[in-house]
Amino acid sequence: MGFDNLVFFASEALTNLRRAGVMTFVTVSTIAVALLLMGTFLLASMNMESFLARLQEEAMVTAFLVPGTASDRVSALKMQITAFDEVTEVTVVTPEAAARELFTDPADQKLLQVGLGEGTNPLPYTIRMKVRSSHDLQALVDKLKALPQVESVSYGEEAFRQFQGLSHLLWIGSLLVIVLLGLASLFIVYNTVRLTLFMRREEVIIMRLVGATNWFIRWPFVIEGFLHGLLGAAVAVVVLAVGTPFIMARLAALVPFFAFDPGAVALVKLSVKLCLMGVVLGVSGSLLCLRDLNAFGREM
Amino acid sequence: MAVCFSRGSWLYSPPTGAGPRPFFVTAMIELRNVTKIYPNGVRALNNVSLSIPAGDFVFLVGPSGAGKSTFLRILFREEIPTEGQVVVDGKDIVRMPEGRVPYLRRNLGIVLQDFQLLKRRTVAENVAFGLRVIGAAENVINARVQETLEQVGLSHKRRMFPDELSGGEQQRVCIARAVVNNPLILITDEPTGNLDPMISLEIVQLFLEINARGTTVIMATHNHHLVNKLRKRVIALVEGRIIKDEPGGTYAYE
Ligand SMILES: Nc1ncnc2c1ncn2[C@@H]1O[C@H](COP(=O)(O)OP(=O)(O)O)[C@@H](O)[C@H]1O
Ligand SMILES: [Mg+2]
Repeated sequence: MGFDNLVFFASEALTNLRRAGVMTFVTVSTIAVALLLMGTFLLASMNMESFLARLQEEAMVTAFLVPGTASDRVSALKMQITAFDEVTEVTVVTPEAAARELFTDPADQKLLQVGLGEGTNPLPYTIRMKVRSSHDLQALVDKLKALPQVESVSYGEEAFRQFQGLSHLLWIGSLLVIVLLGLASLFIVYNTVRLTLFMRREEVIIMRLVGATNWFIRWPFVIEGFLHGLLGAAVAVVVLAVGTPFIMARLAALVPFFAFDPGAVALVKLSVKLCLMGVVLGVSGSLLCLRDLNAFGREM
Repeated sequence: MAVCFSRGSWLYSPPTGAGPRPFFVTAMIELRNVTKIYPNGVRALNNVSLSIPAGDFVFLVGPSGAGKSTFLRILFREEIPTEGQVVVDGKDIVRMPEGRVPYLRRNLGIVLQDFQLLKRRTVAENVAFGLRVIGAAENVINARVQETLEQVGLSHKRRMFPDELSGGEQQRVCIARAVVNNPLILITDEPTGNLDPMISLEIVQLFLEINARGTTVIMATHNHHLVNKLRKRVIALVEGRIIKDEPGGTYAYE
């Protein structure tokens, strides 16, 4: 495609955007609404995910040592574990402290004094720690289990698995919503492009008569679809950028701890994703409409 | 061969008019046993065979519904015959893949009865369309549009819009668009159908000039005055069959 052609296509696309004002409005706002919904959903699932991750990071990992491990071995082990990249806040719980923790009820305290004297405490030393990031949890557990002095590791496996399941569900849910929204808006975009094509059928018939290739005919429509998509995405991004901090502030007031700040990088990434989706929507709507030009104007 | 090549693709030779084709070149248009049956069962062409040499001027006559438009539409691959062979400029256009059709049409000029002009574009832009579509450079387009508009006598109205022109002038713009890339064949379907006799004569005069530069011209028409005046080759169709094909022929209006 030469430069002259490019200039021609671009000016065609712009002229058409202006002329088909209503169509442009319908297409752009359809794409904008769809992307806005997609964006909201993506933000919501990002929020949910970060919430789940923080819950996991709050959870303690407890390593139960082999009973009878000497206390100097325990402090060596603590040093070793503290050196792991995945952990923060490593603490050692002595059997006495564990026992005290176990029987917090005053009635049970008495039982403790009676039943468990010095040297008869069956509880092992335990080392507790927090995981730096929920992603590292499995790796940390594996590392701990590999240590010979560690008999078993507890990290709220059940809760962890449930969180994982929830994240998974969330992911599938957002994918489904995005696909459905995409199809719905594609349908609308497709139909508006069909109307524009109908409005310009004379032009297309003449182009075909004078020997334009199908791609030559498609290019202005494709550029138009591209601009529609970009414009729709821009609207969606602006609305999200203005609306998100407001909604997050409200959410934070209602459910503290739940709301999060996605950060500038995540928001920019989200905007880029939305622009890409907008462009894909606009362009594929046009291409879908123009896939079979060969029958065009047969009824002439 | 060299002649054929340089004529076939105007990009490789400066557009200087079609020029005479050597006598040994085979017919420009060749139909063998062509039958066209539309999906609704109408037999629009019935076993038509004919040959039109390069540089010919042919009137295609016959009553309404005789199959004239079908014949022409087959020539520019808007319709595909149900049976038979069609060869245009040495190419079998029945079996031609869809992707090659645009390139076939770049060698054809097509003028129809209703002036198919873009109302929002000026005369010059309408004519330029025929070159723009094939990716010609801007300076080539400008030069050729000017030249062609002069040829049809409309260069002084180049900046006007179709609605500001008379019917005859609008048809001239269509003709200019059709010949702007020096087609091998000019195919025209009742181009004077909406015009009064004087203007019709002027339009046909223009076709004769184009023909004189070497372009083969095929004109479907009802207008027996024109046909009888000009004494060119006349092919008469009735109910999809050729009932008469004679040089310097006439056309008695039924
Ligand atoms: N697209 C079509 N579908 C079905 N029948 C058609 C179509 N075009 C033309 N016909 C029929 O074919 C016959 C020839 O039509 P046409 O080629 O237009 O004749 P002419 O141009 O000589 O008036 C007519 O009976 C017409 O009704
Ligand atoms: Mg007809």
